[in-house]
Amino acid sequence: MKVEFELNGEEKSFDVEPGEVLLDLLRDNGCKSVKRGCETGDCGACMVLVNGRAMTSCTLFAAQVNGREIRTVEGLEDELAERLKESLLEAGAVQCGFCIPGVLISAYSLLSRKENPTEEEIEAALDGNLCRCTGYIKQIEAIKETSNKIGGSRDGR
Amino acid sequence: MLKNVTEYYYPGSLAEASELHDRESRSFFISGGTALALSDSTRPVELIDISRLGLNKLKLDRASGNLKIGATTKIQRIVESEAARSVLGGFLSESLEEIGSYPVRNAGTLGGSLVRPFPWSDVIPILSVLETEVTYFHEGDKKTREFSKLYESDFRSTLNRSIITELSISLPEKGNAAAKFIKFSRSEFDVAALNLACRLTVEDGNISEARLSIGARPMTGERIEKVENDLVGEKLTGNLAKEAAIFAADVTDLGGNDKLSKEYREQLVKKMTEEAIVDIKREVANES
Ligand SMILES: Cc1cc2nc3c(=O)[nH]c(=O)nc-3n(C[C@H](O)[C@H](O)[C@H](O)COP(=O)(O)OP(=O)(O)OC[C@H]3O[C@@H](n4cnc5c(N)ncnc54)[C@H](O)[C@@H]3O)c2cc1C
Ligand code: FES
Ligand code: FES
Repeated sequence: MKVEFELNGEEKSFDVEPGEVLLDLLRDNGCKSVKRGCETGDCGACMVLVNGRAMTSCTLFAAQVNGREIRTVEGLEDELAERLKESLLEAGAVQCGFCIPGVLISAYSLLSRKENPTEEEIEAALDGNLCRCTGYIKQIEAIKETSNKIGGSRDGR
Repeated sequence: MLKNVTEYYYPGSLAEASELHDRESRSFFISGGTALALSDSTRPVELIDISRLGLNKLKLDRASGNLKIGATTKIQRIVESEAARSVLGGFLSESLEEIGSYPVRNAGTLGGSLVRPFPWSDVIPILSVLETEVTYFHEGDKKTREFSKLYESDFRSTLNRSIITELSISLPEKGNAAAKFIKFSRSEFDVAALNLACRLTVEDGNISEARLSIGARPMTGERIEKVENDLVGEKLTGNLAKEAAIFAADVTDLGGNDKLSKEYREQLVKKMTEEAIVDIKREVANES
């Protein structure tokens, strides 16, 4: 069957199997930031934005996103995304890096809807991301740091 | 990946969805897809997407005093809604927030949790202690059934061939009411090894209504009516909480599985029942 959706800002059309999951479709079409981890919805490595909401692509059928807007890390290039990437690197929040695309998606989705999240809100936003290396502390710091930087630039500081 | 699926439909109406479903015994409705996409079952051959039928409205109906939740409303949207927060001092939103993780709640729906519920589902005990009615579309008509009667054996085949369209939760009218949901799991990421919800209404110092529901026993959540009946008419005291907890552990049908032994569950039922009742007592005292 044919499925059409906006992928990282471009209208795309794909031939898919009706029972195919979005994770397979995205990886087969070059979005390698979408990682194949647990494939049970638990680790968050396959996270994408569907109409701005973070969802795991292994628990969605490709046909479900017909007509929707999908963003993967490949398509996150605005100021918020760039600041987040910088902060994650500066904080030393990246070790093996496997979880990082999913963490980026969660963090981007959080900071898009909330300028100044509390530590509790950051933890809640990351509750679907499993990181086996870092212990999350540096990632939380990086998200806080990004929120400060973005807040500062919005205030003209 | 569901390997045997050959068709994926986007019906334009409930009637069309229902007709498609009746035509093929191995067809399945899709709401959030989180349960089906994970399945490696060879049974489904057709998928019928009901997420575009406008069944995602969420509103507090002032006339009836009921919270109406469309069956395909994403769980996270309910968690975030002001209307849901008004149910029993935030009980509904806070307990639904215990489900899975943020991305799972962004996709999953209540309708998708009801027809073939996981035995560890948190949704079943949560909805069981509220005054919940379920509207479903069956053979061309919309009908309504009390949530507590949804899983009666003579309704099973109707439920399997119905589209759940809406849940309606009535807010308690009189007395002081409070509710508590407690989930025990082996890790942050794991589903419940035991979950329990309790609601009590107190009028003139005595319990006038009691609901207690326990899930992941390891069987699906179920109301513990013997305990409920025992609580009604009693004064809400710390001692009552202790007695009810011992009774609950005694009368609840429990078993063991790879997550917990039966004996461990018995101790947990005792502990969680007491904790829930004591918390409710505190909340009711603060309200009055
Ligand atoms: C990683 C992960 C963690 C989870 N953790 C928890 C947890 O902690 N607690 C918990 O309670 N649950 C948990 N769940 C389960 C989750 O809540 C359910 O998967 C979800 O709510 C199902 O909703 P859905 O809309 O995605 O269902 P779908 O996958 O779309 O459908 C599920 C079933 O219901 C049928 N169906 C769907 N909608 C309707 C309808 N309106 N009428 C009739 N039939 C319908 C479908 O045909 C299918 O058989 C978890 C799931 C995942 C993937
Ligand atoms: S691969 Fe999808 S959540 Fe782990
Ligand atoms: S950095 Fe290795 S899993 Fe997170």
